[in-house]
Amino acid sequence: MKRQLIAAVGVAAMVVGVAACSSSKSSDTASSSSSKPANYNGKTLTAWFMDGSAPQAWQDGVKADFESQFPGAKLNIQIQKWDGIGQKITTALSEGSVDVLEVGNTQTAGYAATGGLLDITKDKADLGGSDWASNLNASSVLDGKQYAAPWYFANRVVIYNKGLWTKAGISGAPKTLDEFYQDLDKLKAAGVGNPIYLPGQEWYTYFGLLAGTGGQIAKQSGSSWVGNLESPEAKAAFQTYQKLQSYSAAPKDKDEATPQQMTIFPKGDVGAMIGLGWEAPAPKDMPADNVGYFPLPGLTADKPSGVFLGGSNLAVAQASKNQDLAKGFLKIALSDKYEGMMAAAGLVPNKTSLNALATSDYAKAAIPASTNGATTPNIPAWANVENTPNPIKDFMAAALQGGDYDSLAKKYDDEITKRLAQKN
Amino acid sequence: MAVQSDPVRAQAPGPSNTDGAVPGDSLSGPRRSGPGLLSRFAPYALLAPAMLATLTLLLWPLVNTFVLSLQNLNKRQLIQHLTEWTGFSNYTDQLTSADFWHTTERSVVFTAINVVLIMVGGTLVGLLLNRLGSKMRLTLGVGLILAWAMPFVAQSTVYLWLFDSRYGVVNWGLDKLGWHSMATYNWTGNQASTFFVIILLIVWGSIPFVAFNMYAGLTTIPTELYEAARMDGAGAFKIFSSVIYPSLKPFFLGTTFLEIIWVFKSFTQVYTIDGGGPERSTETMPVYSFVEGIGNQHFGVGSAIAILTMVMLALAMVPYFRVILKQEDEL
Amino acid sequence: MRRSLFGRSWPNVIALVLLVFFAFPVYWMVSTSFKPNKDIISKTPVFIPFHATLEHFSTAFKAPQFWEMAGNSLLVTVIAVGASLVIATLAAFAVARMRFRGRKAFILVIMLAQMAPWEVMVISVYLIVRDNNMLNSLVPLMIFYMMMVLPFTVWTLRGFIAAVPKELEESAMVDGCTRPQAFVRVVFPLLVPGLMSTSLFGFITAWNEFPLVLVLNKATGPGTAQTLPVWLSSFQTNFGDDWGATMAASTVFALPILVLFLFFQRKAVGGQTAGAVKG
Repeated sequence: MKRQLIAAVGVAAMVVGVAACSSSKSSDTASSSSSKPANYNGKTLTAWFMDGSAPQAWQDGVKADFESQFPGAKLNIQIQKWDGIGQKITTALSEGSVDVLEVGNTQTAGYAATGGLLDITKDKADLGGSDWASNLNASSVLDGKQYAAPWYFANRVVIYNKGLWTKAGISGAPKTLDEFYQDLDKLKAAGVGNPIYLPGQEWYTYFGLLAGTGGQIAKQSGSSWVGNLESPEAKAAFQTYQKLQSYSAAPKDKDEATPQQMTIFPKGDVGAMIGLGWEAPAPKDMPADNVGYFPLPGLTADKPSGVFLGGSNLAVAQASKNQDLAKGFLKIALSDKYEGMMAAAGLVPNKTSLNALATSDYAKAAIPASTNGATTPNIPAWANVENTPNPIKDFMAAALQGGDYDSLAKKYDDEITKRLAQKN
Repeated sequence: MAVQSDPVRAQAPGPSNTDGAVPGDSLSGPRRSGPGLLSRFAPYALLAPAMLATLTLLLWPLVNTFVLSLQNLNKRQLIQHLTEWTGFSNYTDQLTSADFWHTTERSVVFTAINVVLIMVGGTLVGLLLNRLGSKMRLTLGVGLILAWAMPFVAQSTVYLWLFDSRYGVVNWGLDKLGWHSMATYNWTGNQASTFFVIILLIVWGSIPFVAFNMYAGLTTIPTELYEAARMDGAGAFKIFSSVIYPSLKPFFLGTTFLEIIWVFKSFTQVYTIDGGGPERSTETMPVYSFVEGIGNQHFGVGSAIAILTMVMLALAMVPYFRVILKQEDEL
Repeated sequence: MRRSLFGRSWPNVIALVLLVFFAFPVYWMVSTSFKPNKDIISKTPVFIPFHATLEHFSTAFKAPQFWEMAGNSLLVTVIAVGASLVIATLAAFAVARMRFRGRKAFILVIMLAQMAPWEVMVISVYLIVRDNNMLNSLVPLMIFYMMMVLPFTVWTLRGFIAAVPKELEESAMVDGCTRPQAFVRVVFPLLVPGLMSTSLFGFITAWNEFPLVLVLNKATGPGTAQTLPVWLSSFQTNFGDDWGATMAASTVFALPILVLFLFFQRKAVGGQTAGAVKG
C-alpha cells in the first residue's frame, strides 16, 4: 500500500541521514509525509517512560514534533517509577490506558508472552529496524516476532568525585580491582564516609561481575531454567561484590534507588558510586569537572569487570485504541535525531552508526565496558524473578549481613527456579 | 410512640451500659393502631440505603474475590481479559504450602502480642488519666491525641526516620546511654528488630483509643462502688478485679475484639516499614496476599489468600458475635 | 477521690514520661521539617530548630500536582464521609429505636462489614472498577471510601442515638411533631457531637486510604485522580534520603487530621466512648 512505499522511502532517507552522520533533518522530512493530514483532533496518545530515562529536552522535542506531525493529537507523557512497575504495566496493559510504553529489556519477553504488546514485525523496517544493532534488538523479539523496538542501552560505570580523590592523594583511575581497593583504602584513610556508595541490593553490579567471569545467574537445565547462585562463579563474584560493599556505609538491605544514590553522591562525602549516566550529578549540584568516570576495573588490567547491559525498549500496547498514532510516535522517537540525543546523553543508541555521538565522559567509560556485558536470560519467565520481592536482592542482603552463602544460595536458587517455572 | 415503647432508661453515655441500643419492646404485643403499615415498613426503608450500599459495594467485591480465587488469573489472563477456571487448586496449593502456614502462625502471634500490649497499656494509661489532675490530664490527652490522629502513612514515615540507622534519634539515644553497638544499628536488618519497630508503631498508635475509652468508662463508675470496696480493705489490684473489671466488662470485650480485627488486618504499617522484609520474614496475612497477588501478579492466588484471611478473621470473631447477639437477646 | 491532685507526684511523673513517648514522634516530624539539612544530618540531633527554614516545605509544595492531589483528597474525603453519615444516620435510627424482624441479622451484617479487610480485596475492586470503565476517577474512591466507613459510622451512631433519652422525642411528638420532625428538631441537635466524632473517624480512614487508590488511579500529571497518600509515598521514594522534605510532606499530610482532632478533642473522646465500644 501507499504506506508501505512511503516507509521504504523513509528508510532510504534515514540511511542517507545516518551516512551523513546525523544531520537531524533527514528523518523529519521522511516522516512528515507519512500520514494523511489532520483528523487527530481530540486524540491523546499516552506514553509511559521510566524515571530517569528520557532527558527533558528529548521529551519536549518528541512532543513538539509529534503534535505538529499529527495536528490535533496530544501527547501525554507519564513518568513512572521502577519500584513496583510490573503490576502497573500489567494493569495498564489490561485497561488500554497506555498506548506506548517503555519496557525494561529484561521484562520485554515476559510482557510479549502475555499478549499485551502489539506485534510490530511488519513495521520494523519502517521504524528503521534494519539498522538496529542485533544484540540490542534481541530482547524485543520473541518466537521470531518483533514486540518492541530497542530504544537505548546503558551500563554502569564508576562515577567518582575527583576532588575527594585528589585530596586522598590518588592520581588517575585504577586499572585493576586491586588498585581500586587500594584507592578506596586511601579514601577511607582520608576520612571519606563512603569511599564508595554501594548499597547491598545493587544486583545489576553483582550480575555484571558474575557475567564478566562467564558465570550465569540462572542456567538452562534441559528444557527448564534453574537458579545458579550456588555455582562457584556466582560465589566468587559475590565475594568481589562483598569486598566492594565493605567500603560503603550504604544500607546492606536497600537498593540503589531507595534512597536514590544520585541524591547522596553530590553531598560530598561519597568517593565513588557505580551508576548510570543520568545519575551523575547535575552541574548545579557539583561542577562537571569534579566528576570522573571509569569502567569498573577487572581482575587484570587488560579487561574491565563485566557489566549488566540494561536497556529499554519501546512497545505499543495491544489494547491501545490509537495504534497508528502510536507507531507514528515510535517512528519519531526512534528517529536518528532523537536516538542521537539519547546517545549524546551518554546512552548506547540502537544503531551502532550513532555511537559516534556518544562523546560524553560517561559514554567514553561506558562503551568500552559494554563489550564485556550481558543481560538476563531472554525468556518470558524472567520477569517473574524481578517481581517484588526480588529474590536476588533478598539473597544479597541476607548474605551480606552475615548469612551463610551456601545455604542462602540454595534457598534462593529454589525461589528463582520456582519463579522461572511459573506459567503465565 | 407507635412502634416501640421503651422502659425509661436515662443513661449516661458510657460503656457501663451493657448495651445502649435497642430500646424497643418485643412484649408490647399487638401494636396500638397508629400508622400501622407505614411504621412496619419504616425500619426497612431506613435501612434500605445502607443495605443497598453494603450489597453492591461490599458483598459484590467479596463474592467477586471468591470468584477470582477459583481462577488461574495471572498476567496473561488479566491483560487479555481471559477467564480460566481452576476449581479449588489455588486453595489446595496454599493449604499445602509451608509459606502459608508460617505466615498464618506469624500473623496469629503478631496479633496476640500487639493486642495484649495495647490492652494492658491502654488500660493502665486510662487508669492514670483517671488519677491525674485536670491540667495534667489535658496535657497527656493532647499527647495521646497526636499519636492517635497521625495518618498511617505519616506514622510509618516518621518511625522510619526515628529508627534511621545513621541519623535516627533512637540510635543516637541508645549510643548515648552507653549502648555503643547500637550507634548505627540497622533496625530493618532482621526479623526481630523489624517486628519490634512495627509492633512499637502499632501499639503507640493504638493505645490512645483504648486509654480514652477506658478513662471515659471509669468516669461512669459510681464512686460508692470504690468506697465500698476500700472499706472492705481492698487494694488497688482487688479494686480493679472486683469493681472496675466487672463494670467495664463490655468495654474490655468490645475493645479487645476491635483491636484483634484491626491488628490482624493491618496492612499499611507492616508494609510501609519494610515491605514484609527482610527476606519476607515480616509478612503477615494481608501483606502476604498483597505480595503474592499484586506484587507477583498472581491475582487468583492473591484472592484465595484473601478469602482464607477473611475466614480466619471470621473464626476469631465467633465468640464475640455470640456475646453480642446474646446481649441483643437479653434486652 | 482527689487524693492524687497534689499530694503524690508519681502519677504526674509517669504522665510526663508518657507524654514524651506519645508526642515525641509527632514533635520530631514537625521539628525535622523546619530544620536546615545540616541540623538533620548531624551526629548529635538538634532538638529545637533554632535555625528554622521553610525550604523543605517549598520542596514539598513544588512537587508536581501537590495542590491537585490535596484537593482530590479533600473532596473525596468530605463526600465519602458526608454520604456515609446520611446513610448511617437513617440506619442507626432504625436499629436503635425500632424493633423489627431482621434487626439482629442487620447488626450481624454491620459487624461483619466492619471487619472487611479492604486491603486484600483490592484486586477484586480493581477489576470491578476497570470493567465499568471508571479508572482514574474520583468517583469510585468516593463510593468505596463511603462503604469503608459506613459500618463503623452506623455502629457508632446507633450508640449515640440510643443514648438520647426517648422521652425527649416522645414529648416532642406529644406536642404535635411527627416522628421525622421530632428526630430533626430534638434528637438531631443532640447527635451533633456524635456525628462530629464519628465523622472524624471516617475522615481519618478516607484520608489515609492508600492501597486502593494506588491501583485504581495510576495516571499522573495534570488532571490526576491520585490523592495525598500516593503523593507522600512517592515523595518518600523520590526524596528517600531527604528527611527534611519527607518530614515536611508528612507534616502537611498529617496536619489537617491533627488539627481536627485537637479541635474536637473532647467530643471525639466522649463520642468514641458512647459509640464504638459499647459492644
